[in-house]
Amino acid sequence: MNRKALTAFVTAAAVAVAGWLIAPQFATAQGGGTVEVEVKFNGAPQVETLKVNKDTEQCGKEAKIEKVVVGGNKGLVNAVASVAGAKGAATAKKASIDQKGCAFHPNVVAMTPGEIDILNSDGILHNIHTYSTANPSINKAQPKFKKTMTEKFEKPEFIKITCDVHSWMLGWVAVMPHPFFGVTDGSGVAKIENVPAGKQTIEVWHATLGKATKDVDVKAGATTKVTVEMVKK
Amino acid sequence: MGNGALSARWLAAVAFSVFVALPSLAVAQSGDAGVGKVIYERKCALCHGVKGDGKGPAAELLEPKPRDFTSGLYKIHTSAPPGKIPSDQDLFRIITAGMPGTSMPPWEVLPEKDRWNLVAYLKSLAADKFKQAPKKIELPKEVASSEASIKRGKEMFEAIECHKCHGTAGRADGPSRPELKDDWGQPVPPANLAKRWTFRGGASRTDIATRIAGGVLGTPMPAFADSVEKPEDIWHLTNYILSLGPEKPNYSTLVTVNGVTGAIPDDPNAEYWTKIAPNNIPLMGQVILDPRNFNPSIDLLLVRGVYNDKEIAFHLTWDDPTQSVADAAKKLFADAVSIQFPSKFTAGNERPYFLMGDSSDAVYLLRWEAGKAGEASANGPAKIKALDGGETTAKTAYQNGQYRIVIKRPLAGKGDERPTFQPSTFVPVAFQAWDGGAGETGTKASITSWYYLRLEPPQSNRRFVIPPIVALLTLVAMVLIVRAAGRTRGRS
Repeated sequence: MNRKALTAFVTAAAVAVAGWLIAPQFATAQGGGTVEVEVKFNGAPQVETLKVNKDTEQCGKEAKIEKVVVGGNKGLVNAVASVAGAKGAATAKKASIDQKGCAFHPNVVAMTPGEIDILNSDGILHNIHTYSTANPSINKAQPKFKKTMTEKFEKPEFIKITCDVHSWMLGWVAVMPHPFFGVTDGSGVAKIENVPAGKQTIEVWHATLGKATKDVDVKAGATTKVTVEMVKK
Repeated sequence: MGNGALSARWLAAVAFSVFVALPSLAVAQSGDAGVGKVIYERKCALCHGVKGDGKGPAAELLEPKPRDFTSGLYKIHTSAPPGKIPSDQDLFRIITAGMPGTSMPPWEVLPEKDRWNLVAYLKSLAADKFKQAPKKIELPKEVASSEASIKRGKEMFEAIECHKCHGTAGRADGPSRPELKDDWGQPVPPANLAKRWTFRGGASRTDIATRIAGGVLGTPMPAFADSVEKPEDIWHLTNYILSLGPEKPNYSTLVTVNGVTGAIPDDPNAEYWTKIAPNNIPLMGQVILDPRNFNPSIDLLLVRGVYNDKEIAFHLTWDDPTQSVADAAKKLFADAVSIQFPSKFTAGNERPYFLMGDSSDAVYLLRWEAGKAGEASANGPAKIKALDGGETTAKTAYQNGQYRIVIKRPLAGKGDERPTFQPSTFVPVAFQAWDGGAGETGTKASITSWYYLRLEPPQSNRRFVIPPIVALLTLVAMVLIVRAAGRTRGRS
């Protein structure tokens, strides 16, 4: 009797613990919704050009510094949309950024804290020079024979990446504290998946235009569309 | 029992604090930040600012700008990532030795204890950054210099593209030079690797290898520790860099012009010139008249001079990162040098005012500007009059951030405003140089004070012939005198 009761109790406890352990992921996967963020900018694109005096074979004769890229339908390209204040585990996929044609591809990378692969497809000297406050800054040479370099960004922040050899090269790594983010595509749209249902605040960050937020009611299993307008600072 | 627990805790605390304190005791010189602050305010604040933010009243005039200590970011460090926070010794060393090529002087005059106190105060200005103990960067096993090592170093120099900033011959003339900025957005030139006495963090083998491996923080110079093919390449690169120039400039105190027989070549790259030892002349910024040149670009002129029975020739070598084309809209001017002499060579020590003369005494300028030779007479920088009808010629070579020119003139000067050069004499000479690409023109120049130039007579075989003849004649004369004396005595 006693023994039976104990076994039952242990089993119940085990199930409860297992349930408690599994539950959040389960709930997120089932109870989450997709947020499609459309970021608009009602202004002119800001692009500076400059003449290239070296490595023209890889970099071309003219370089572009794209401060504000406006795509079709006034969509703002390369903005990071995320769920403000959310919590969640790191994404499994390792982030990567490539130096190709003397430009960073993609121009803006969003990732959860961890490692990032920095590729050098150009096969010429670049140097990864980061400007950050929470993470230690990096200034490491990546000569032609160093195809991949792996770096670690452990603290959430927006990190500027430059190359001093090619001063026009400018990229950003958004280290996010949770996996609920997306970077806007060529038409200014970012999709954030598995967002916990309920009232959420969508935050949009852009390197030149700053931040904007909008509240949204996320429905489980459905796609919620939201439009965020950015204004010129 | 309560007491016992308390004393046990107390003991543990003492043991722990001793344990923690030991490593800092090993440094032996942990300074007192409070004392350091007082010294700082007296000695450092003028440039680095009262708050340590690098914004002292003198900062505006300085290039490179004084360090912002509140950032905790220091160029010179021997620490490994992450953080690359300098060690106490790193800070102490810069305070003691200064930073060559910048306005930071060596503070060896301060008592050692005070320098350690300053270290403690500097750390307190960025206390957060200094919380983490620095980890020393590990260099690979040292490789001694050899022909093979220098060769490998050159290969690596090219493979990792050091030339992008430092230039093919290391003279700071790489294509990325104009784009380089520090973390504060200030332009920062690359180091001239052929002038290692200007290296900010010192020029010893270990200093150079450490800079290559760890980079120069807050500047475009990246760390190469993981970015060479083999770890020991750091040392091969070091050995190659050491081969690019002399250890020290060995400045001259006198400019010697050698007398020669035969023709003097026009070509600045002719082998002829390499056989003549240069006179190394240091140049300073002109800071007497407005506009002043606080950060001169040209700091060294290598002067070689020869003359024959007809003409005098000067071969000048200097580093200039750009062969500039004059463009007033872009504040670019022609590169130029001038060699200055008094208009009249007079006996005695009186010379015209060294800065291009004054209203009472004129100077004669042998000039080179953007490849063309010329002559001028000046009564001060604002009163320069070009002299026409001379026979001055110049040939120019510009390669890898360096000018080499040959400028020639007849020995005899036409008219009153041109001096005539005489062999075996000392004549006053001074030099001026302008890097037009750095916006230098007019009084924004690099200058020298007066030096003496000596025209050494040609070395002929006569010195092997005349002294023996004189000796022989003396001997003959002595013999004759002795004989004559003997005869006189015999007679009496």
